[in-house]
Amino acid sequence: MWTALLIIHGLLAVALLGAITHQACSACLPARKPAASFQQRFRAVPGGGYVDAIIFLYILTFLLGAFIYPEYRVSIRVVVEQMEAWAENGAFEIKEHFAAVGMAMLPAYRFFWRQPSAENQRTRNALTALLAVIVWWNFLTGHIINNIRGFGA
Amino acid sequence: MSTSRRFEVFAIVFATVAPLVYVIAVENNYALITYHPITYSFGFGAQQPGEGPAMYWFGWMATAALAGGGAGLVAGLLPAALTRFLRPALAWLVPLGVLVAFVILLRDYFLR
Repeated sequence: MWTALLIIHGLLAVALLGAITHQACSACLPARKPAASFQQRFRAVPGGGYVDAIIFLYILTFLLGAFIYPEYRVSIRVVVEQMEAWAENGAFEIKEHFAAVGMAMLPAYRFFWRQPSAENQRTRNALTALLAVIVWWNFLTGHIINNIRGFGA
Repeated sequence: MSTSRRFEVFAIVFATVAPLVYVIAVENNYALITYHPITYSFGFGAQQPGEGPAMYWFGWMATAALAGGGAGLVAGLLPAALTRFLRPALAWLVPLGVLVAFVILLRDYFLR
């Protein structure tokens, strides 16, 4: 069961990663329209349309991660420590703290995307970029830890 | 204050207070609850490990959520004149500072 939940957690994270990356690029590096190349089309998406999906995916990924975290603590972390993989262990420690801080940012993130005024643009972009950094860090760290010792390995 | 402005105040205060309280809770182990994964049981406050490890992460988040939510709700009820000083930039500057603080606090993992 833990392996299945971990895979679902990972798939949700993939969807979240795609959505937040799209939105962050469109907000921070907006493309001139009409977009001609792949890169320009990637950056030309309407970022506002991603907000609710990103919040939903973030919360769902977070909750599932929190549910399987005790199994990680009991079965995986001990092995990672025994392997003396300190950097990887530290990266996971940072991941859990980053995830919690990201949760605290969600109400503000939603508000500033729902009030798209020019004066809110810097705040909106900064919140989006910060969430993107958190999601990327957590995704890569989770992937590395899973490579070291996935559930059921 | 309008409902929109109240929510803005709540959101800014929550994004400011909750991460700050969270990092303080982590550093001082002010966990509202402790989870014991071997026995599948929760305990109130920061408890010592019993059978197997004790997990404080849920408790730190609960502490931060309670503090941030409470502060946000109170700030949302204040008159507009008292919340004018609140800058939207706080909603990302403080979380950014907390993220950097965690990297610094946990740097020993990467320096071994």
